[in-house]
Amino acid sequence: MICLLGGAFMDASSQQQRFPKPEFQSEYQIPTTQQPAPRAPFMEYVDLFVLIAVMSLTTWLIFRKRSRKGILWVSVFTLAYFGFYRNGCICSIGAIQNVSLALFGNDYSISYTVLAFFILPLLFALAVGRVFCASACPLGAIQDLVIVKPVKMAPWLQKTLSLFPFVYLGLAVLYAATGTDFIICRYDPFVGIFRMGAEFHLILLGICFLLIGMFVARPYCRFVCPYGALLKITSFFSRKHLSITPEECISCKLCKESCPFGAIDYPIDEKENKATRTDFRKFIVYAVLLPVLMFVGGLAVSSSYKLLSNAHPDVHLANLLISKPELMQQSNDIDVVTFMSSGKSLKTLVSEATVVQDKFKVGGWYLGAFIGLVIGLSLLNEVIFRKRSIYEANKGDCFSCGRCMDYCPVGKPEHPYHKTKIADEDIGK
Amino acid sequence: MKTLENKEKLVRLIAIIAGIFTALTGLLLILNYVQIHSGDPLNSAALKSLVDRLSLEPDNQQLTNEVRLMDLLARKAYFTSLWQIKTGAYLMIFGAVVFVLALRVFYTLRFSIEEPTKATLSEKKARQKTQRWVVAAGLTLLVLAGLSAVFTVNYLKSFDTKKVPISGNAEASTIEKIDITSSDSTALQKDSASTTDSAKVIPLNETTVKQQHNSFRGAWGNGVSSATGVPTNWNGSTGKNVLWKTPIAVGGNSSPIIWGEKIFLTGAGNSKRVVYCFDRNTGKKLWEKDVKQIPGSPSTQPKTSDDTGLAAPTMTADGTHIYAIFGNGDIIAFDQEGNKVWARNLGVPANHYGHASSLLVWSGKVFVQYDTTNGCKVMALNAETGKNVWTTARSNEISWSSPILAKINGKIQLILLANPNLVGYDISTGKQLWSVDCMTGEVGPSPVYGGGLVYAANEYAKMVAVNPTNGQIVWENSDKLPEVSSPVYYKDFVYVATTYAVLACVDAKTGVSKWEYEGKAGFYSSPMIASGKLYIFDTSGNAYVFTPGAALKLLSSPVLGEKVFATPVFSEGRIYIRGVKNLYCIGKK
Repeated sequence: MICLLGGAFMDASSQQQRFPKPEFQSEYQIPTTQQPAPRAPFMEYVDLFVLIAVMSLTTWLIFRKRSRKGILWVSVFTLAYFGFYRNGCICSIGAIQNVSLALFGNDYSISYTVLAFFILPLLFALAVGRVFCASACPLGAIQDLVIVKPVKMAPWLQKTLSLFPFVYLGLAVLYAATGTDFIICRYDPFVGIFRMGAEFHLILLGICFLLIGMFVARPYCRFVCPYGALLKITSFFSRKHLSITPEECISCKLCKESCPFGAIDYPIDEKENKATRTDFRKFIVYAVLLPVLMFVGGLAVSSSYKLLSNAHPDVHLANLLISKPELMQQSNDIDVVTFMSSGKSLKTLVSEATVVQDKFKVGGWYLGAFIGLVIGLSLLNEVIFRKRSIYEANKGDCFSCGRCMDYCPVGKPEHPYHKTKIADEDIGK
Repeated sequence: MKTLENKEKLVRLIAIIAGIFTALTGLLLILNYVQIHSGDPLNSAALKSLVDRLSLEPDNQQLTNEVRLMDLLARKAYFTSLWQIKTGAYLMIFGAVVFVLALRVFYTLRFSIEEPTKATLSEKKARQKTQRWVVAAGLTLLVLAGLSAVFTVNYLKSFDTKKVPISGNAEASTIEKIDITSSDSTALQKDSASTTDSAKVIPLNETTVKQQHNSFRGAWGNGVSSATGVPTNWNGSTGKNVLWKTPIAVGGNSSPIIWGEKIFLTGAGNSKRVVYCFDRNTGKKLWEKDVKQIPGSPSTQPKTSDDTGLAAPTMTADGTHIYAIFGNGDIIAFDQEGNKVWARNLGVPANHYGHASSLLVWSGKVFVQYDTTNGCKVMALNAETGKNVWTTARSNEISWSSPILAKINGKIQLILLANPNLVGYDISTGKQLWSVDCMTGEVGPSPVYGGGLVYAANEYAKMVAVNPTNGQIVWENSDKLPEVSSPVYYKDFVYVATTYAVLACVDAKTGVSKWEYEGKAGFYSSPMIASGKLYIFDTSGNAYVFTPGAALKLLSSPVLGEKVFATPVFSEGRIYIRGVKNLYCIGKK
């Protein structure tokens, strides 16, 4: 119901602008439409400053203060500023597309601010982990605040679903590079909530994510966010990372229960999980299969160019007009009407659409190879056993939210764990 | 402990209340949403009824006030609903926030140190399961990609193979494809069989043809008739000055033409294409010929829009033969008695509205402007045999405009308009003489020549005057532009009629707008000059007769009582006008 009414509200908001003007018979002159003044250019530097400040503050809160509460309040600020005040734009997630189009498009360039929004969170991740996800991302913040009773997901399900952000990342880059669409922005489920207005299905999607997010923590961040995929890679190689315990881990296991994202790796029982000859064989097979997977992926995705390219307005319109030529005679479709009034011939449209399809054929190879690589590396990762004797945050998956630090009883004499422990010892006596 | 329990109870109560509040607000919002979407306040039956009454009683002030009041109430109700939805949404969001916060606090209060759940699987087993699922996910993607590759139809690929033929000749079944990348003399194609002269066709001379109305908009397609004594008043309903009226069984949007005592026109539907011949003095049908069994004619007719149809192009006549073309590419020549002389199919024109360019005959050649989506060209067919005399590829977009003839520097040229150019051709060789890029959009109106300049106009583009001797654009005007109707030139002024019911007069030398007249309906029919007066019909069948000149002088506005899309034909004091159902002859009784 919340979904429905949210959609209803947003839909009605957009209708207000379409309400026709009255047809006055009198002398009354309808006032001319006033356009709001554009935002002052220097404000984009303010945004950049806020981003740097938020990430720096979060880094300080994680490494010096070890304050989950502090991180929580910073994310509330982020939600207010980058979410509701800046309406979810400018955004590092969407900047992926700007950068892609600037790299591959002929006549598109991006501002230094957008570039900085794209690069800075990655640099921070490379240095100190995903502090951007912790508190500088409004999408993460709104999901983080609605976590009520998170359920634990099975590792196989979590790891399998975690492949999707890479697929989405590849698709977003392909669509942006071919000038087709900015799909990350188009299907951003939360931007409609930030702006208090969007298409019905987007509002519905956003509300669904929030409802699910009450029990499956940060579903968008974990299983959809394409920028999260990039941050995961960079954070994996981070120089420094949030540590659960300030001192030596006492293996109380509390932190494992604290993380709603399943991002804490626990000690490995070396006897039980010793690498066998089978594992070694699997490693060899997967390593050999890696280029095969990339080739098969490239071939498969490149072969899907017809479906993928149909998202491009020219390809879609050309297909539509060829398959339904009667639309050229009578159609209310705005794209058809615009095309017909442009004077451009169908032949020209088809030739332009064919060029786009050719780009998708080539781009499909890269996207497919990338997906094959991700799947191959995921399989390889599953047969590599690393020694681990303590509980520690997974550098790739950890959002640096600080919940585990809050749970950790080490260095906190007043922590309930110690009281329980003492009580247990008393009982033992 | 008890305090903790009380807190828990309190928070649970808050959560329940907030949840119920959110749900109720949501329910009300949905009801409001349904209400606002179920009825369009500005199109309510009551308001429409009042507006209808007002159109019958335009001076009824009380009724006017009632309409205004109802309109105001409808708007108020609408915007109030919007306000309610917006306010309700804020309340609901507030409720949802309280609900989430209360739940969070509730679960925090119930927090207790618990022994971590023991993993049901060892890490190794979990990893094995993960591998299986990752492989499954990869295979799923592969299958999806394969399915999309197999089952997605790529219409772009079939575009070339489905490419409709755009040329050919009557003798050969092969389809001629033209290279539209070049329009210079090297692209000219001369049919080897085209050397046959039009021996049996009586050559036209300017004096002879100007006494006829032998093509779309009269001789040479310039919209000026030599007819005199044409009436300015008639009434189709009462029969005033209607000499005869005869029904046309198969409709079409082409205009009639006249040669001698006969009037010709075409009609077409999906099942048949017809050429009619009537006695222009009595309205008696002299003959009717089905156009069928044409070599290369398609079995399935191309789709066309309703306001174009398959019989949009107007015929042409040269005294020996009459020539007709249809939207499926069939072109046919009859003699005056209705005997077929030759016929061929030019290739189905790829045209999303339908082929509309009319024919024009001169010096033993039938000129065909064949601008299609798949290529554009102009052809001269031997009037006697139908074979190509010459074909010239054109570098422009598809168009619906018709050719005109004009004598420039003592030599007759064929002038064609399309997007983006206005082009003059040598009628003997088809060689392009000049070209001016001046037009955009989907060009329907034909150009007109007068006073040494060629005038061209199109809706959403502009009106231009071009000097054909040097290719200079003399002036441009964007005030009132036609979409279908073609302009006419007469004594220093150019007249254009728009689909939004405005007839405008422009100074032919300067391009300055002189006057405008708003008719009762839009104009598809083109203005004609006859008896020194300007005649034009709107689509509702209302005619407007003006004295041409710098000042607006409406002489009369007679009514036909039938919709009109065709351009009237004038001959010897009479007007012949094709309505959607009947052919009318108007003359002084």
